[in-house]
Amino acid sequence: MEMLLMGVCLSVFGLAVACLAFGAATRDSGEATAAAPAVETEAIQVAARPTRFFVSPPAPPVAARTNIPIEALLLQIENHVRLEQAAAESFLASPNASLLHSRTMSTLVN
Amino acid sequence: MPDIDLLKGLAPDEAERVLALGRRVVLTTRAELFHLGDVADSIYVVTRGRLRLTLPMQVRSREEDVLVEERSSGQTVGWSALIPPYRFTLTASAPFETEVVALPREALNSYFAAHPETGYAISLNVACVVGQRLQLFQAMWLREVQRMVELRCA
Repeated sequence: MEMLLMGVCLSVFGLAVACLAFGAATRDSGEATAAAPAVETEAIQVAARPTRFFVSPPAPPVAARTNIPIEALLLQIENHVRLEQAAAESFLASPNASLLHSRTMSTLVN
Repeated sequence: MPDIDLLKGLAPDEAERVLALGRRVVLTTRAELFHLGDVADSIYVVTRGRLRLTLPMQVRSREEDVLVEERSSGQTVGWSALIPPYRFTLTASAPFETEVVALPREALNSYFAAHPETGYAISLNVACVVGQRLQLFQAMWLREVQRMVELRCA
């Protein structure tokens, strides 16, 4: 009789543990299902980006690089002004749309 | 004496007479020739060295004088002295020892009244300096607007 009761108790305890585990597993999978599309979309976007062999990824804009010393930033601004003047002078020497919008090498905007 | 943009088209002796109306000013390294907002009563011709033209800009909450343009030997600075309201719209300073000739507006006006042909030639030269500055900054401004548009549409 005692052995039977012990067996029943163990069975009930085992069933309770199994229910808890099942509940936890079901809840996790629900959350994972909700998060999955976002992760998947991001993964697709990363995969869809064109591969650029031999080209470094673009540097963050200067505004994001806030750790640059102010003296260096002022030099970048000065260099940018000189480059822009040179570009504007080229345009004035031979006015056309492609010279007006020629790309700059300035580190301030690249 | 270098080629001076203000005196183009004048005979050498006439150019000398105009320059004689002014006085030579030697600026030491980092000396300021004029400051933004100052009363402008003289126009300057750079005869040696270089001038930095700057405007104040807020950089990380600090006001910094940022380079806008540079003028070197033979070029003219400070045409605000000839155009109302006669206030400088930039600050000019010398990055190293620099020499300029300061030509006072009053002396120039008196001379031009007596020598209208010289006045006409110099007025045309001033118009060229002003016009070149306008075209240059128009192009620079448009390039910046183009970049803003590209950033906005990116």
